This record gives sequence, structure tokens and C-alpha cells, in this order.
Amino acid sequence: MFFNSLTFAVFLPIVFVLYWFVFNKNKSSQNLLLILASYYFYSCWDWRFLFLLVFSTFLDYYTGIQIEKNKNEKIRKFWFWLSIGINLGFLGVFKYYNFFASSFATLLSDFGLKTSPFLLDVVLPVGISFYTFHGLSYVIDIYYKRIKAEYNFVDYSLFVSYFPLLVAGPIERATHLLPQVKVKRTFDYEKAKQGAYQFIWGLVKKVVIADTCATYANAIFDNYTQMNSWSLVLGAVYFAFQIYGDFSGYSDMALGMSKLFGMDLLRNFNYPYFSRDIAEFWRRWHISLSSWFRDYLYIPLGGSKGSKMKQVRNVFIIFVVSGFWHGANWTYLAWGFINALYFLPLLVLNKNRSNMEMVQLQWNFASAKEILHIFYTFALACLAWIFFRAKSITDAVLYIKRIFTEGNFSSQYLTNERYNYELLLMIALFVVVEWNYRFKEEPLSGKNSWLKVALAIAAIIALGTYSDYKEFIYFQF
Amino acid sequence: MKKFLLFILKISIVLVVVAIALDFGFTTIYKQSKNRGKIDYVFNSNARKYDVVILGSSRANNHFVSDLFEKQGLKTFNYGMSGGHLFEADLLLKLMIERKYQIKNVILEADLNLSNDQQSEGVSAKYLPYLHSSETVRKHFENEQDFNELYYIPFYRYLKFETKIGFRDMFKVATNEKTSVLNNKGYYSLGKTKGNMKNNIVNLNPLPHNKYYEEIKALCRANNIHFIAIMTPMCENVTGMNYFDKVHKAYPEIHNYENAVVENKYFSSCGHMNDEGARLFTNVIIHDFFKSKK
Repeated sequence: MFFNSLTFAVFLPIVFVLYWFVFNKNKSSQNLLLILASYYFYSCWDWRFLFLLVFSTFLDYYTGIQIEKNKNEKIRKFWFWLSIGINLGFLGVFKYYNFFASSFATLLSDFGLKTSPFLLDVVLPVGISFYTFHGLSYVIDIYYKRIKAEYNFVDYSLFVSYFPLLVAGPIERATHLLPQVKVKRTFDYEKAKQGAYQFIWGLVKKVVIADTCATYANAIFDNYTQMNSWSLVLGAVYFAFQIYGDFSGYSDMALGMSKLFGMDLLRNFNYPYFSRDIAEFWRRWHISLSSWFRDYLYIPLGGSKGSKMKQVRNVFIIFVVSGFWHGANWTYLAWGFINALYFLPLLVLNKNRSNMEMVQLQWNFASAKEILHIFYTFALACLAWIFFRAKSITDAVLYIKRIFTEGNFSSQYLTNERYNYELLLMIALFVVVEWNYRFKEEPLSGKNSWLKVALAIAAIIALGTYSDYKEFIYFQF
Repeated sequence: MKKFLLFILKISIVLVVVAIALDFGFTTIYKQSKNRGKIDYVFNSNARKYDVVILGSSRANNHFVSDLFEKQGLKTFNYGMSGGHLFEADLLLKLMIERKYQIKNVILEADLNLSNDQQSEGVSAKYLPYLHSSETVRKHFENEQDFNELYYIPFYRYLKFETKIGFRDMFKVATNEKTSVLNNKGYYSLGKTKGNMKNNIVNLNPLPHNKYYEEIKALCRANNIHFIAIMTPMCENVTGMNYFDKVHKAYPEIHNYENAVVENKYFSSCGHMNDEGARLFTNVIIHDFFKSKK
């Protein structure tokens, strides 16, 4: 059940009505309903993995309590590592085992040792990377005594399984979401209205921008050996907007619908393509994951403290791990590594925190420079996205090589029966809208909201892509 | 809460109003379309006169060279539609008759397409802009599974078939951008070998009474149109060529021409002749059905 499906269009209003009209007595009944709804939502993919979700929830709930209750450091440590080990173990088995097994076999065959590795025939449980990280942050925070353990299993389960964020985030923190789960929610008209606007805008990003860009990006990436330089450049740009529209659209829908239930989720995107350097880009892209890695990996490693060499090491570790989090493929590792390379000069020159505020332009030379920086950062991001999207590192390298060697920058007819340049106007329009509203979470609220909603609805039904349905990219992670 | 429910109601009203407005706008524009495809070329036309009208799928579209008929003084148009089934061919003929076309002969490619009486969604979608403007189109679709959604939900048809009749195509109609579909009097020639020169049709069986084939035959009879049904050629390497014997058994009036051209050099893919093959084949048809009568 996807957020942009007809079944979800039936599911959401039913849950909304039950939540505010039937299960509205106290926070326990509200939470119970949301848990049941979340488990139903999750079981629509594969009910068997529901057991994994419940087990993972129970594990962290129980170990959290044990860590808090025990004063003996050794026992605390035992429960802590048990939770970390099992959580990462699940992730390792379902997500990374086949990759490591086949990579190891390839390595052995390079040395003349032929092996046929035992590979698991299992699908990746949807959302496992997200709910595992929820649980991990919870247990780590209890171990370091930043938060208290949650003794109410229903409340804790809701923190892990809340359906708006269950399958593709944002990755929540116990410090942010649990306090909201612990109190009865009362209906707030302004918040719900804001949520509805954000949901609609998320839908625009998904079906109008992401899914339309996907048909072009796929036609170009899947046939890159026949594409001219212009098509290849456009392919990278289309993919950049596909993944942005797809993931930030999903996040907007998640944040928007959560507001309908009176709860705020962490903001996941803040107009990343208007960043002036890669450090700023990473403060604006998939914020909940970046901050997770910052708090639970980068800072424990020493963060920006210590020698420059140590800092460089830490940066490479978090970028490569972040790449690997996305999937068990060398292309994701390469993508993380490239981003670390981009980040390196900023770190060495102490410029990684130069652009903390959203860009503001005036009619002067400095602003022209800022625009150039925005284009430059976007170009770097696109170059890295090629590795993210390509089937292999070889494909990515050949793709980039072809951009510079093919030399033909003319229009080209693609396998999706469209010309390569046809989407540019729509993307330009989207960028203009986002630019004008970059200080807000979404562009629909405020002045002339009804006109903007009508235009958004018109865009969804008239410009959306429906026949060539695309799943949310981040569901596979 | 009351305020919010009112807000949702307003959004729902906006949604319906926008859908109705867009539906009206798209339909109005499609009603002006005359040169994007064969369906709008017929739907938005007045009476035409033809000696020969060719109907069928791509195996009609790529196999009957209209110019060769014209050279014999026969005013001809190839209305074969790539990917089309008999469902669409039948409706096209109904629309021609409704528009008082004077047609002497209909050549129907009737072979592989006899194996089903379903619509070909990619082609039939092109009729959908006219669903509310034509009783003929409405009746033709009314037994289809998704008829109610297509007919009653505003804009649903444009949304469902957005690659065929969506914004992009509507925009091209509005800007009067032509396609090449109507060039060469509807005949679309194929080049040298491109596709697979093998085909397996063992599991294909003609329906004993293909509804739309029978309708086309009946329409021709009722309108004094000479009806010529033809099985068109396949390449050399086909498993299950007895399919054509089965067709002949079920429909003895359909002429067997599946072996009129066989050599692979005359084919672009196994089921589609190239231009050279199509010319060879068309000459055989002209000789057998038109010259011999003169």
C-alpha cells in the first residue's frame, strides 16, 4: 500500500475518522488504533515480515528496560550489545549477506579459487533499515543515559511502527517522537490544514516530478551506450529530480499525514538543490539520516575533534557507511566515497560550516557568485547520482566518459517515445516554485492558498504519470 | 474538527471542479484534432469516398501499399493500426459509416487478431476523448470492464491513459503538430530486418466466433461494401503455421495469403514484411481481387 495508491486513499480517511471520532477517549486508545493501523499497513506488503517488526520492537523495548534497570555496568553492556548485535544481525542477513558472500566468492575467484557461495533466497523486508535505526538510536540513548526507557509497550511500539514513517522514514528519535506519543493528542485545525497542504505538495513531487522524470531517466540510463552527450547530461539531471521528488515527496506526505493525527515528524529535506556547497547539501538532504550518523557514528568516532587526519578519517567513514546503508552494492559505496571526496576540501579549509542559512539573493556580484555555487554544487551532486543510479561502477564510469567523449549535444528520441529535452520546462517551473517558497516547508499555504491548491490538484491529475507506475525508491532501502 | 471537515469538503469540490474543467478542456481540444492519428482523422471528418479501405493491425498497416492501389485508379486508404485488435477496426468502420463514407471495398487483415476479441488498450484509448460525444463510441465501449469509471469519473480516461491521450498529446493537438501516421495514405513501410525472424504461434487459436470480425462482416453486408478478409504473410521460421488452417476452417471466407511471401529477405520482423515484401504482396492482392475483375 503506497501513499499515492487508491487503497491508501481509502485507508487514510478511515483511520483518521476512527482516530478522532471513535478512539479519541485517551492517548492509549489513540495509540492502540495507530498501532493496529500501522501493523495492517505493514502487512499489506508481506504479513510474514510483521513478525520480524514485532520481534525487533520487543527486543529493543525489553533490552532498553534491562539496560536502565541494571546498575551493574557489565550487565548493562551485555544487554546493550545484545540489542545492537541482533538489530545489525537482522540487517546484515537480510540486506548485506548475499552481497558479502558473492563479493567474497568473486575475490576468491580472482585468486583462482572457484567457489559457489550459499546465497539466501529472501526479499528485503520493506523499511528494515528505517525501523532498525529507530530501535538502535533508542537503545543507544538509554545506554548513554540520555533518555529514560519506555515501559509502555504500546507507546514504544507506536514510536517504532507509526505507519507514516514505518517504511521510508524520516528516522525518528525517541527524544522527539516518544513525548508526543505519551500524551493525548487534541485536534488542531491549523496543524491538520498545514498537514493536508504538505501531503498534496508531496503528491505533486511524487507523481508529477519524480515519476515523470523516472521515465526519462530510465530510458537514458538503461540505454546509455546509445545516448548522446546531451541526453546523458539530461539523464543525470532527470535522475537528480526523480530521487529528490520521490524521497522528499514521500517525506512531505509522511509529515503531512502525521500532522493530521496531531504529531510532528522530523523534517527530512530542506531544499537541498539550493545548497552552495556539499556540506550544506548534506545538511539539507535526508536530514534525519545525516543527523543520525552524525550523532551515533561521527561524534562517537571523535567528530570534528582531534587532528585533521582523524577528522578526515571520520568523514570518510560516515559517508561510506551512509552509502552502504542505502544498499548492498559497490555503486552506493562509490557514491558515499565521492561525497566524502567532495566534502574533504571544505573540511580541510574549515569551510564546511560556511553556509548555514538558506541562500538569499540581491542584485550584486556576491549573489551572482552564490548562484554559480548553487549550480556547481548541483552539478557535483548529479555526477555522484550517476553512481547511485548506475547498475555497476563500470557503467557509471562509462556513462561519465561518454558525456565528455561522445560530443553530440542535440535532441535525441528516447525509448520512452519522447525527446530528451521535453521535461526541462516542467523541471524549470518546479525549481521556480521551490525557490520562491524556500523559506517555508511547502508552497501551498499562505496567500492565495485555494488557487495554489487548485493548481496543484490540476498538476497531479493532468501532468502526473500513472500508466508507468513507480514505487518509492527508498522503500528498497 | 467541523472546520477541518469543511476544509476537506472544499478540497474535494476543488478536485471535482478541476477534473471537470480539465476533462472539458482536453475533450474540446481533441475534438479539433484531425491529423494526429487515424482515429481522429475519421472521427472529425465528413463523408469521404473510397474504392478500398484497409483495416486491421500493424500486419495491415505495414503490408498494404496504398499507392499501388491508387496506381490502378483505386482510391485507397490504409487504416490499419499498429497494435490494434479487431475491436478498434470494427469501431473505426462504424464511425466511417456513421459519417456516410462511400466505400466500395473493405480489405480486412484477419489472422492472428482473430484469436481474441479484447480491446487493445493502447489503441482504443485514442477513442476515449469521444466517449461522451458519440453514441457509437459509447455503445462500443459499454460492455468493457472499466466502462463506468471511464464514462462517469471526469478526467479518469485521460489520467489512466496519460501516455496516449494525456497532457503531452493534448498539447501537440493544441499546437497542431502532425504525426507521420497519415503519410503515404496510411501505409507505414518497414525497413530491412530488425526484429526476430522466429515466431511461435502454437498456443494461438482463433476464436470460433470473433464478435468484432462478425460485426465488420455484417456492417459491410448491410452497407453494400465488398468485404475481403485476408490472412497476411509470416516469415519462414514459424512454429504453428497450422493456425492459418484453423482460421480457414472456422472462417472459410477468409483468404489464405500467409504464404504469398515467405523468404526472410522480405521481412522486417517475423510477422511484418519490409517495404519490398509489402509491395510484392500488395501486387498479388491487387492482381487477385481487382485486376482479375477488370
